[in-house]
Amino acid sequence: MSNLQEKKTDPNQKKEPELKGTLISVFLVGAFIVISWIGVFVLFISR
Amino acid sequence: MGIAKLEDAKSSQSLPITKPESRLYMSFIHVAFISLLIGGLMGLLQTLVRSGKFELPWGIDYYQILTVHGVILGLVLTTYFIIGFHFALMGKTVGISEKQRKVTWLAFWVMVVGTIMTATTILLGEASVLYTFYAPLRAHPAFYIGLALVIIGSWVAGFVNWRQLYVWKKQNPGVKSPLAAFMVTINTLLWFIASLGVAAAVLIQFIPWSLGYAETINVLVSRTLFWYFGHPLVYFWLLPAYMAWYLVIPKIIGGKIFSDSLARMSFVLFLFFSIPVGFHHQLTEPGVDPTWKFIQVVLTFMVVIPSLMTAFSLFATFEITGRKKGYGGLFGWFKHLPWKDVRFLAPFIGMLAFIPGGAGGIINASHQMNAVVHNTIWVTGHFHLTVATTVILTFFGITYWLVPHLTGRKLTPQLNKLGIVQAIIWTVGMTIMSGAMHIVGLFGAPRRSSYSEYGGTEQASEWIGYQLAQAVGGTILFIGILLMIYIFVKLTFFAPKGEEEFPIAEEEEDAEPTPAFFENWKLWIAITIALILFAYTIPFVDIIQNSPPGSKPFDFPIGR
Repeated sequence: MSNLQEKKTDPNQKKEPELKGTLISVFLVGAFIVISWIGVFVLFISR
Repeated sequence: MGIAKLEDAKSSQSLPITKPESRLYMSFIHVAFISLLIGGLMGLLQTLVRSGKFELPWGIDYYQILTVHGVILGLVLTTYFIIGFHFALMGKTVGISEKQRKVTWLAFWVMVVGTIMTATTILLGEASVLYTFYAPLRAHPAFYIGLALVIIGSWVAGFVNWRQLYVWKKQNPGVKSPLAAFMVTINTLLWFIASLGVAAAVLIQFIPWSLGYAETINVLVSRTLFWYFGHPLVYFWLLPAYMAWYLVIPKIIGGKIFSDSLARMSFVLFLFFSIPVGFHHQLTEPGVDPTWKFIQVVLTFMVVIPSLMTAFSLFATFEITGRKKGYGGLFGWFKHLPWKDVRFLAPFIGMLAFIPGGAGGIINASHQMNAVVHNTIWVTGHFHLTVATTVILTFFGITYWLVPHLTGRKLTPQLNKLGIVQAIIWTVGMTIMSGAMHIVGLFGAPRRSSYSEYGGTEQASEWIGYQLAQAVGGTILFIGILLMIYIFVKLTFFAPKGEEEFPIAEEEEDAEPTPAFFENWKLWIAITIALILFAYTIPFVDIIQNSPPGSKPFDFPIGR
C-alpha cells in the first residue's frame, strides 16, 4: 500500500466506552449455549 | 513499528442509484418474492399433510411439494434476494458501469432460464428428489441442467461484483474499500469456492448419469461434494443478514459502526471456516474416516468465533448508541431501542432467533451428540430458526427500506405498522412450529417424511400432537407470508412517491484506522484454499479409492 496514514489520535487520550451491559449480555448468550448443550448431552448419556 | 493502516475514502460512500440500476436490482428481488409465495404455500401444505388431517388432491405427491419447498426457498429465494442486495450495496458504495450492468442482466436471465427448467421438472413430478438431490434418487436431466445454469448465472453476477470493486480500487489506490463492498466480495468468494463442489457433482456425476451415459454413480462422492457446498451455503445465506446487522442497523438506531476492523475480521474468518467443515453433515455417513470427521468438527467450532464476535459487536453498538443518547443504567440503552421501527424490529427478532439457532447448531455439530438429533425433525426446526427466521426476517427488514428506495416510494407509517404485525405473526408462528419440531425431534421423530402411523407403533403415536402444533404454526406463518407479499406489492407499486433512505452507518470520527492487510485478498484466498485442501484431500482420496460399487439410478419410491 503506497498511501498510508499515521494514527490520527493518541490512544491514551481516548476514553473507553462503558460496556457493562454488553458484558452481561454476552455472558447470558454464552450461558444459554452451555445450558442447551448440557441438556442434550444429558439426553445423549442417558439413552 | 506499527501495522500499516488504510486511508479512509475521501468521498462519502453514497452514490445515487439510477433507474436502470433499480430495475436490475428489483428484478432479482421480484423473483425472490414470487418464490416466497409459492414455497410458503408448499410449506403450509406439508404441515397440513403431516397433521394427518389432510390429503393432497389430484394425486400430488408429498415429496414433490417438499422438493418445491426446499428448492424454491432454500436455493431460489435466497440466491436471488442476496444477489439483488449485493448489487444494491455495490451500486451504492463503489458504483456500476453500463457494461457491468449488461453482464448482470445476462447473469439474471441465465439464472431465470435455469430456475424455470428446474421448477418445471419438479412441478411435472419428474424431480421429487428434495433439495439435497441425494443419489441414487434420480431426477430428470433438465433438473440438474437447470440447477447448473442457476449456479453459472450466480457466478457471472459474482464476477461482476469483483470487477466493480477492482475498478473502484484502481481509481482509489491505497484507500480502504468500503465495508459493504468488502463484505459482498467475501460472500461472493465464499459462494464461488463452495459452489465449485456442487457444480462438479452436477456436471461430472449427475448429468451423465441421469442421461444414461454413465451406468452408475458414486453415492458417497456425490454426497461429499454436496456438503462441501451445503454448509458454506448456509453462510452464504447468513452473511448478507450480517451485512445488514453491521452496516444498516447502527444507522437505523442512530449510531456508528462499532469497529470496521472487527467486522472485516469476522467476515474473513467466515470465509476460512465455513467451507472445510462439510463432514459435520455426514457424521453418521459410513465410509468417511472418523479422524477426518473429528478434524472437520474442530474446524466447525472455529466458525463459532466470528458469530460470537458479531454478537458482542451488536450489543456494544446498542449500548454505546444508547449511552450517547443519555440512557443510563445497566440496560437503559436496551429499553430505548427503536422498537416501533420495523426496519429495526424485524432484523432484531432475527438476531434473537440466532441465539437458540446457533446453540442448536453447536449441538448438531458435536460429533457423537449428533446421533441424538441426526435425521430427526429437530434439524428441520434448527434451520427454520436460522434461515427461515434469522435470515428471512433480516431480509424482510432490508425490504422495508430497499424496495421503496429502488422504486422511489416511501415506507408509510401504516406499512411500518403492518410490518411490525408481520414480524410478530412470524415470531409466534415460528416459535410454535420450530419449537414443536425441536422437542419432537428429541423424541426421535424423523424429518423428510410424509405422514405415517409407522404401523401403529406407540412411539409414533406420541409425535402426532407435535405435528398438529407444526400445522398450527405453519398456518400462522403462511398468514405472515401473505401479509409480507401484500407489503411488498404496496412498496413496489402503490406506496406514495418519495425518497426512502439507504441506511449505511459510518465509523466514529476518532475510530482506529483499519490495518492495510485486510486488503490482501491473495492472502485470504490462499489460506481458504489451504484449509480446504487440508480438510478434504486425504479423506476424499480415501473415499474414491475405497468406495463401494456405484449405484444405478432409482426412480422409486421417490424421484421420477
